[in-house]
Amino acid sequence: MLAQFETAGALHWLGRQLFNRDDPAAFFDPLLERINPLLARQTMRARVLSVTPETADTRTFLLEPASRWPGFRAGQHIALTMEIGGVRHTRTFSLSSPPALWQQRGRISVTVKRIKGGLVTGWMHDCLRVGDTVSVSEAFGDFCMPSAAEPALYIVGGSGITPVLSHLETLAADGFQAPVTLLYYVRSRPDIIAAERLASLAEHWPALTLAVFTTSEPGQNQRLNDRHLDRVPDIDARRCYLCGPEGLMDLAGDLLNRRGISGERIQRTRFSASFVELDNDNPGGQVQFTRTGQQVDSPGDASLLDIAEASGLSPKHGCRMGICHQCSCRKTSGSVINRLTGQTSGRGEETIQICVSVPAGAVSIDL
Amino acid sequence: MKMLTESQLNELQQDLDQIRNQVIADLGKRDADYIRRIVRLHRSLDLGGRLMMPFGFIPPVFLAATTTLGLSKIIENMEIGHNVMHGQYDWMNDPSLNSRTYEWDTACGGDSWRRTHNYEHHTYTNIIGKDRDYGYDLLRLSDDKPWRPAHLFQFANYVLLSMFFQWGVGLHELEFERLRKREVSLKEKLPFLRAFFRKGGRQAFKDYVFFPALTLPVAPIVLAGNVSANLMRNLWSSTVIFCGHFTQDAETFTEESSEGESKGHWYLRQLTGSSNFTGSRWIHLLSGHLSYQIEHHVFPDLPAHRYPEMSKQVQAVCAKYGIHYNSGSFARQYGTVLKRIAGYSLPDSLRSRMMPAQKA
Repeated sequence: MLAQFETAGALHWLGRQLFNRDDPAAFFDPLLERINPLLARQTMRARVLSVTPETADTRTFLLEPASRWPGFRAGQHIALTMEIGGVRHTRTFSLSSPPALWQQRGRISVTVKRIKGGLVTGWMHDCLRVGDTVSVSEAFGDFCMPSAAEPALYIVGGSGITPVLSHLETLAADGFQAPVTLLYYVRSRPDIIAAERLASLAEHWPALTLAVFTTSEPGQNQRLNDRHLDRVPDIDARRCYLCGPEGLMDLAGDLLNRRGISGERIQRTRFSASFVELDNDNPGGQVQFTRTGQQVDSPGDASLLDIAEASGLSPKHGCRMGICHQCSCRKTSGSVINRLTGQTSGRGEETIQICVSVPAGAVSIDL
Repeated sequence: MKMLTESQLNELQQDLDQIRNQVIADLGKRDADYIRRIVRLHRSLDLGGRLMMPFGFIPPVFLAATTTLGLSKIIENMEIGHNVMHGQYDWMNDPSLNSRTYEWDTACGGDSWRRTHNYEHHTYTNIIGKDRDYGYDLLRLSDDKPWRPAHLFQFANYVLLSMFFQWGVGLHELEFERLRKREVSLKEKLPFLRAFFRKGGRQAFKDYVFFPALTLPVAPIVLAGNVSANLMRNLWSSTVIFCGHFTQDAETFTEESSEGESKGHWYLRQLTGSSNFTGSRWIHLLSGHLSYQIEHHVFPDLPAHRYPEMSKQVQAVCAKYGIHYNSGSFARQYGTVLKRIAGYSLPDSLRSRMMPAQKA
């Protein structure tokens, strides 16, 4: 019944009158989520069903999203939102399970590597337990599987394997006939993620050729090079998928280009959020105002409100001293320094007071 | 006003900033859990009140339903709406508790409130002529405003304002006083009026049309209950707000004295222009912790449930600089408010003869 408030025109209008909010169906969330968190309407929730260690620093979280979750295509990502110390944090992860698992059993999984010093991945490893819930976004991304009968080459590093697992298991289940080669680069043998699933794929699916290279084991350095590519038959005819650290993807892109493989046959994806610590002593940066599409460079310690006004915008504001919150705006990406506290914000999306916020590197503001 | 030297003001700012920074560093799950608990309480009371109301033909049920709905509105307006719109919970990054988008259960639109209250009132607190909350253009509460015979009736105006407080607050931005003096034109106020009718209409529709009509056979009872619940909220919120700035010792300021003021001076003005009242945990909750008006004015964007624990530190800072920390029982503070309203309804000569104790 609550869903009606979200979609039906007249009921949505009525809901707005009664509950004073644009998402009236979410009005009762605080009570509903006590009964079952998956009933919440404001965000789509998913319950953690199991946590499986893959390597020393990587775990797979099996999730059961609310049944109204719309599903995904292999290779897509989702944004997970978690509340850590009262603050909502959102990060993007690739789905590591095949869509069939969602269609048949209503389950999805993400495989998360713990990033050194990473707040969210650290919390997921230390605190996210079976039975807890997180919010899941709709799936997005265009890291799409090869179309039928097109031979494929995957060049993957580390935890970049996660969306590729979803691809490979889906292709195998579909009985994909064309040759598929996976070149998988890991530091050492124990760092192989989903080793059993990969071994099982290689065993039961004749089209797959699996080669694992270790890059940091003593006496061996098997970084990606031309010889690895020489061994891939008919490489010119393949659709290439690159997934892993930027360095690996750049190198792979160069090597493939030099072989005359055109850019449109190469797909790349990013899998890790960057957690760069910024230097407070060096304020300023490029500011993007997303609504007007303006972009300005502002070195020095001018506030975002000043920068916006100098660019001809007139954002809502009040006291200009951080008291009244009239000027609060959504920051969609990048970090800012709070003039009052001297502290640098996180890089995620959040509300900031632009009158006391100074850009710390490139930022995007919803203005 | 208490006079402090420039260096004392700087020191005052540092002392208060330190209290502020301690709390900011400690914000977390405790605060999130608190406000979520209050939101759950509000939803339960709202649901309970609405469900009981049609059975209001049984007198005790009518009383229970009306009280429940009234409490629900009070808690939503005071502890949730007012505080969320100050940005007290923006750090949680929860779109339901965001200062920019929150819309509360009262006739005043959120955007209008953010302009008139968060900006005007909190920036220009108690500056006669700039803080339009001081007497709401309707009441004469200091001798900075010249006496006119119409002020003789201001006690009746005060009672009316309290009864219809949500509409008074809703129309505050119309600046009726300036319209009358033709300082602003009605045309300039059209966007505001449109927003006011949209929001006010929505509130009236909900309480006075939709819910009565939904339970048609008992519509008069539901209507009466909803009117009573709104009245209860109006009287209480008006009383709390009057106790915050119009008590006997709450000071007023002139525009000149606050021109180009430093942050330290702003802090001093907030400390001396506001007043607290004491009471039980429930009184503080129902007042949205505006019973700690001093703490609220010094730290308007820190979660209000923190004010009781911050109060001791603020009192110590006040004692250090010899600043009067204006607090007392609810009855005492409200008594001085009523005395101020009555006193300033009289010409100054008569007032000073009748009420020599009252500060000029």
